[in-house]
Amino acid sequence: MNVIETKKLTKYYGKDRGIIDVDMSVEEGEIYGFIGPNGAGKSTTIRTLLGLIYPTRGSAKVFDKDIILSGPEIRQEIGYLPSEVFYYDDMKVIDLLKYSASFYKKDQKIIKKRIKEFAELLDLDLKKKIDDLSYGNKKKVGIIQGLLHEPKLIILDEPTGGLDPLIQQKFFNLLKEENKNGATVLFSSHILSEVQKICQRVAIIKEGKIIRVQKISELLENNYKRFKLDTAANVSKEYFAGIKGISDLSVSDGSVNFLYRGRINDITKKIAALNLKNMLVEEPSLEEIFLHYYK
Amino acid sequence: MKQYLRSTIVWAIALSAVAVFYLSIYNAFTKDVETVRKIFENYPPAFRAALGFHLDIFFTLNGFYLFIFGIVLLVGAVQAANLGVGIISKEAAGKTFDFLLSKPITRTKMITSKVTAALALLAATNIVYITIVLFAANAVSKGDFEVKKFVLISLTLFLVQLMFFVIGLFISALVPKIKSPISVSLPLVFAFYIIGALDTIFGKNVRYLTPFKFYDLTYIIKNGAFETKFLLLEAAFLIIVTGAVYYLYNKKDIPAVD
Repeated sequence: MNVIETKKLTKYYGKDRGIIDVDMSVEEGEIYGFIGPNGAGKSTTIRTLLGLIYPTRGSAKVFDKDIILSGPEIRQEIGYLPSEVFYYDDMKVIDLLKYSASFYKKDQKIIKKRIKEFAELLDLDLKKKIDDLSYGNKKKVGIIQGLLHEPKLIILDEPTGGLDPLIQQKFFNLLKEENKNGATVLFSSHILSEVQKICQRVAIIKEGKIIRVQKISELLENNYKRFKLDTAANVSKEYFAGIKGISDLSVSDGSVNFLYRGRINDITKKIAALNLKNMLVEEPSLEEIFLHYYK
Repeated sequence: MKQYLRSTIVWAIALSAVAVFYLSIYNAFTKDVETVRKIFENYPPAFRAALGFHLDIFFTLNGFYLFIFGIVLLVGAVQAANLGVGIISKEAAGKTFDFLLSKPITRTKMITSKVTAALALLAATNIVYITIVLFAANAVSKGDFEVKKFVLISLTLFLVQLMFFVIGLFISALVPKIKSPISVSLPLVFAFYIIGALDTIFGKNVRYLTPFKFYDLTYIIKNGAFETKFLLLEAAFLIIVTGAVYYLYNKKDIPAVD
């Protein structure tokens, strides 16, 4: 069964494009990545699914129910974590979470237990006031309020901003656990490595349109890296020209810069033959990848 | 809600303080009726009307109350408009709409719970106000005090507040982001207040243009009752505007926070 199914889902903000003809199918039990550069339409799609904004045309179903006609019923089973979290500053964390829990027709004892467990795992002080929390800690509150009611569908919109690597890892483990227990996850991000870590399938969105849906295993074959080399002697551009997978190549005054997609062994063999002063291998930004591979 | 409760207490005290202060000088005004009458007779009739000063009834407690009630209405209108503008738009300003509306509730339910809470706060304000001014009026009266009429005049505050409340709600539904409700509610209330003072231009029809003049308080003094027609008109106004508020909020896109 598809947990999310959109058909030609389109949203315009006045004349401005939000998303155009988005067809998306997220199967029950999968962790589905939704990736695209900023402004591509990820949040618009998610906000439409949540009923925060209304589609201009097209339709969407969650749990086989229309998102507009059955909004509250659908949201009973959705946990949502937005990229920016804002809560009532004068409330204590525990009161905010209790308030959040009060919306769900679930066993409040189980919810209470989950709140405690998650808070311990993420190292969050429940007695603090929201206003006194750092951005990262507010994000932790967001994670707990999104998961406390054992949602069947977890929607995450750029969720990792503000979380340190350790908490990020704990958060990913938590998601995997929820997924193992039956939850479907829609994970939106503009960071490819993040999606590669956790998702099974990924939809790539660009300028409001889904341009590709890939299994993550296929995506991993396309291993994108940005290489920055400082060489002792000048290297000619021809040295790298013609190598499959290289793009955006620039060579100047002992400095070589390019984007590479392919087997790392192949390119490192080529680089090893150079007299290197320094080498930097970076995760390219999604914008770069899109610019060179998804034209 | 806690925050609103605190501000409601402040408003109720402020309203009562205004009324109690003026009632406390009632006896001073009525000590030398002729002198006061002469002073006010020298004022132009339009100015006297704007002040809510009616020579024929001024020297009774209820008549004197009418004179001060304009100020009470003004203060009360600011409270109600502020509540109307802020009670829902606060979620947008605080960027908490996403949190609230991603929960399993309908927007209709969300609006209803907020409107109900606001109405309870306004009702509480009026209960406190009426209780306090009744005590004050009793204390200063010289036997010319008609409780029923006094209460009816005081109840006008609630009726006028309801109109300002829904107008505030309506504005909040139309305007995408209101950072500070008071920056909207104050000009709104003063605009209606000025319209009310322009009855020389609009004549009797001014009462259809501003909540401040909607109820004829001298009618209450004379008849001991509200004009039914105007109660019905207000009911219709409240239903239509509130209906529009529900419609607008239900159709509204909630913009992403930035």
